Amino acid sequence: MNEKVLKRRTWISFGISIAVFIVIFALALMLGRYRIAIDDFFKAVFTDDSALDTQRSIIVNLRFPRTIMAAFVGIGLSLSGLLYQETFRNKLVSPDLLGVSTGASVGAALAIVLGLSSVLISVFAFLMGLLTVFVTVMVSKLFRNGSSTILLLSGIIVGGFMSAILSVIKYFSNDITTLASITYWLMGSFESADMTRDYILMGVVAVCIAILLLISHPINLVNQGKAEAQTKGINYNFYRGLIIVLATILTAISVCFCGTISWIGLVIPHIVRLLAGRDAKRTIPLCITFGGTFMILVDILSRTFTDSEIPLSAVTGLLGTVIFVVILIIKRRKLNEHKDI
Amino acid sequence: MNIKISNLSFKYEKKAKETVLNSINLEIKPGTINVLLGLNGCGKTTLIKLLSGLMKPTEGTIEYDGRNLQTIKIRERAKIFAYVPQQANVTNDIPVRQYLSYGTTNTLAFYEHPGKEEMERVEDVAERLHISCLLDKNLGEISGGELQIVLIACSLIQNTEILLLDEPTSALDMKNQNLVLSILKDVAKEGKTIILSSHNPNHALYLDSNVVLIHDGVICDEGPAKELIKVEKLKPIYGEHVCVSRDLGYDEISFKD
Repeated sequence: MNEKVLKRRTWISFGISIAVFIVIFALALMLGRYRIAIDDFFKAVFTDDSALDTQRSIIVNLRFPRTIMAAFVGIGLSLSGLLYQETFRNKLVSPDLLGVSTGASVGAALAIVLGLSSVLISVFAFLMGLLTVFVTVMVSKLFRNGSSTILLLSGIIVGGFMSAILSVIKYFSNDITTLASITYWLMGSFESADMTRDYILMGVVAVCIAILLLISHPINLVNQGKAEAQTKGINYNFYRGLIIVLATILTAISVCFCGTISWIGLVIPHIVRLLAGRDAKRTIPLCITFGGTFMILVDILSRTFTDSEIPLSAVTGLLGTVIFVVILIIKRRKLNEHKDI
Repeated sequence: MNIKISNLSFKYEKKAKETVLNSINLEIKPGTINVLLGLNGCGKTTLIKLLSGLMKPTEGTIEYDGRNLQTIKIRERAKIFAYVPQQANVTNDIPVRQYLSYGTTNTLAFYEHPGKEEMERVEDVAERLHISCLLDKNLGEISGGELQIVLIACSLIQNTEILLLDEPTSALDMKNQNLVLSILKDVAKEGKTIILSSHNPNHALYLDSNVVLIHDGVICDEGPAKELIKVEKLKPIYGEHVCVSRDLGYDEISFKD
C-alpha cells in the first residue's frame, strides 16, 4: 500500500484513538456500581466542594488508580503481543508465547497457597514469569539451534510444564478459599490497584516504550529474519534478545499485578497492523493508544453491569473473539488467496 | 580491496562426514566480476553465504583487506558486502518501498529511520531497475521474478563495495536477465566487486568475468571466462552432452543429444 496513505491513516488513527482514550478514561472514572453524574464528576475533580467528598474519594482512591493500571496493563500486553508476533514472524502468537504468563500464574498460586500478602503475590508472579522465560531460553539452547522455531517450541514445552505444575498446586490446595483465590487471580482483575503499584507499572512500561521507540527500525529488520537483518547491518541475535527481554518484562509486570489476561495481546496488534501496515515506528504508538483504550473499556464492562466483577479474561475473551472474527472477515480476500494474513 | 580465501573448508555440523567445501583457496581482485559455476549442491551457495558472514568456516579463513571476515562487526560488514539470497524469506505484507528502504540501514544509526535522502536513493535505484511501478505493492503481490529484481535493487541501495549474488537471474525472463546482467556490468565498471553464482555459463561469457569452477566442494579450475568456458573444461562437470554453438559469433554453451 502507498506509504503516504499508511502515514495519513496512522496519524488519523492516532489522533482519534487519543481522543477516544481521553473520553473512555473519563467514563471509567464516572461509571461503576456507584455512578457519578457528569456534572458531579467535573465538580468533584475541579472544585473543593465538600458535598462531593464521597464522589471525589471514589474517583481519586478507587477508580483513578484502577483505570491507570488498566491503561498501562493494556499498553504492556498489546506491545508485548506485537513484539512477539514481529520477532517470531507469526501473527498468531500472544504474549504468553515463552511461558511468562503460565510462569507468573505458578508464582502467584504458590504465594496464595503460602498465604502471602498481595504485594508478595505480585513479586512471586513477576519473578516466576521471568524465571520461566529464562528456563525456556535455556531449554532452547539444549537443541543447539538458534532458530526462532526452536525457541517457540521450547516455550510451548516449558509453558506446558508450568501449566501442569499449576494444576498440581491447585489439586493440593486443600481449602476451598485458596482454590477460589487462585482461580480468581488466573482470570484477572484490577481490584488490587493502588498508586504504588501504578507507579511501578508506569515506570517499567515507560522505560520499555522509550527503548522500543528507539529501536523501532531494528525491530522491522528482525522481523525479516536473521539473514536479512545481519546482511543489512543489524545484529540480529542482540536485537532479538533485547526485544524478547522487553516483551517478557512488559508481560510479567502486567500480569503480576492483575493476573492473566488473554486475547488483548493477540487482537490489538492485528487491528493496528490493519490500519498502519507493518512498520514498528507506526505500530508501536498505535498499540499504546489502542491497547490502553481497549483495556479501560474492558475494565468498565467488567465492573459496571453486575454486582460482583466479571473476570477480565472473560470480557477480553468475549470482545476479543468477536473482534478477531471481524478482522478475519476484513482480511477475507487475502485469506482466500492463501497469502500471509 | 582484495578478498583472500585460504584453505577454507565447511561442514554443516562438525561431526558430519560430508564436507560441503574442501580446502578452497581463492583470491578475488577488486572491481572484477566473478562467476561461480558448478552443479547443484556443489557448494556455490555455501561459499557465497560464508563470504556474506552468515556462516562461519569450519576451517580456514576469509580475509578482507587483510582482516579476518569474522572479526569485522556486522554493521561494518554490511557496509562492505551486500548479499542477495537465492530464495528470499521476506515478510509478504510490507510494501516494496519499505523493504527497499531497509537497504539503507547500514548508513543509519540504530535509532534512525530512512529519511528523505534514503528514500530518494530507493527511488533512483528502483527507476534504474525499472521497478518504480512496484514500489507501492506488497512483496506478496509481486511475481517471483519481480521479487528477485527487488532483492537485487535492495543490494544496490546498500551501496557496498562487494556484491554477493546467489543465482540472481534464476527466476528472470530473458529481458530481465539481460537488464540485470548489464546493470552488473555497469556496477563493476564503477569499481565494485561482484561475486555471483550461476547455472548459465553463457552469463559468465557475457559478463566477461573471472570464472570459478566448483565441483564436489573443490575448486577445479579458475580463470577468465573466455579461456575457461570451453567444452573440454565443462564436460567433466556438466556431462558429455555439453556442446558449443558459434552462431552468435561467440561461443555459446548448450546441450545436444
